[in-house]
Amino acid sequence: MQLRRPTAVVVAALSAALIGGAATAHHSFAVFFNDEKIITLKGTVTGFRFTNPHGTIEFTVGSDTWRAETNAPTLLRRRGWTPDSLKPGEAITIEGWPARDGSRYMRMRSVTRPDGTVLGTPVLNQRVD
Amino acid sequence: MSGRHSCFLVVAVAVAVAVAACAPETRQPPRRPEFSGTWAAGRGVQPDAARVATLPPNTVVLGDAGAPEFPAGDFGGLVLKPAALAAAKTWDPRNEMTIDRVCVPPSIVYSMQGPFPLEIHQGADLLVIRLEYYDLARVIFLDGRPHPPPDAPHTKVGHSVGRWDGSTLVVETTHLSASTITNNGLDHGENVRFLERFWLSDDGNTLFAAQEFEDPDVLENRGARFMAWERAPGQYIFPYECDPSFSLNYQK
Repeated sequence: MQLRRPTAVVVAALSAALIGGAATAHHSFAVFFNDEKIITLKGTVTGFRFTNPHGTIEFTVGSDTWRAETNAPTLLRRRGWTPDSLKPGEAITIEGWPARDGSRYMRMRSVTRPDGTVLGTPVLNQRVD
Repeated sequence: MSGRHSCFLVVAVAVAVAVAACAPETRQPPRRPEFSGTWAAGRGVQPDAARVATLPPNTVVLGDAGAPEFPAGDFGGLVLKPAALAAAKTWDPRNEMTIDRVCVPPSIVYSMQGPFPLEIHQGADLLVIRLEYYDLARVIFLDGRPHPPPDAPHTKVGHSVGRWDGSTLVVETTHLSASTITNNGLDHGENVRFLERFWLSDDGNTLFAAQEFEDPDVLENRGARFMAWERAPGQYIFPYECDPSFSLNYQK
C-alpha cells in the first residue's frame, strides 16, 4: 500500500531556533508571536495586501490557510518590496515567528521564491511597526 | 579749546555718525543649523554622561527608543502612580487590535521615538516635522507666541513652541491628548509636558534629539529618551494611510 503523500506544499520544515541578536521584542509582538521560535513553511500565495500598519500574505499549505503579517509596508518599500511583489498562485517559502495562540498566523521574516531569490532585504529583527 | 577747534570736532562727530548710519548693516542674524530634509528611520542612542547630567533630578533615561520595546510590566524605571499602575496591569493588547483602535496614532511622546523616517521643513518662524509613522505632522512655532489657553483642543501632536539655545532647538509641547508612553499599557494624560532638544552632528549629517516628559497625573518621576536620525538626501517619507481592516486578521 502506498502511503498517501502529503501535498507538495505541505510544511517542509517546522523548525525552531533561538534568534540570536534580535532586538528586544515589541510588547505586542511578544504577546502575539513567539520570538524564540522560527518556522519555515512552503505554500502557495492566495492573497497579498500591502497596506499599513502591516501587510498580510495569505497562503495555503496543503488544505490549510495561513496568514503572515509583515512589517509596515512603508519600511518594506525601502527593502525592495512593492504591492506587486507577490501574486496569487506563486509558490513561496516563508520564514517567520509563529503566533503564540497556535493559530495559523505568523510574523514574516523572509520570503523566498522557488529559484532561491529572497524578496527584498529580510527583516533582521521583529520590531512590530 | 578754541572755537575753531570745537567747531571742527562737532563736524567730525557728525560726519562719523552719518557714515555709520549709512554703512551697510554688519550685524548678521545668528546662523542656525539647517534641519530641513529627509531623515532616515530613527534609532535610540546612548547619551553621553554630560548630557545626562543636565537632566533635571528624578529623571530616568528610557532604553526603548528606536526598535527596542519594553515587555509587559517593565516601564524602564518610570514610577507609576497607583491608578496608572492599575490601568497598566489590566491593559490587554488584544483590545488595541480592533477596527476602531488599530489606526489610532500614538502621540508624539511615543511616535517620535519610533523607527520611522522624518521630513523637516525649516523656516525662520516655523518648523514643520512630518512623520511617516501614522502620517503625523507637527508645527513648531518659532515666533515667540505662547501656548493657547488650557481648554484649547488637545491632539496627538499638541501645540509646540520652539526657541534657539545656540545651535540647539528647544521645543516645548503642551495640549497633547492622552496616549501611549511605553506601549505596554502606560499612557500619559492631557497634562503631560513634553520637552525636546534637537541638534546636529558636527558634519550636519546626523540629527539628534533628547526628549523629556513629565505627567504628574500619571508618574512619580520624569522620563527621557535619546534618539538619532541620519540625513537621507533624495529620499522621501511614504504615506502611511493606515488601513484598519488589518485588524480583521486578529478577529479570525
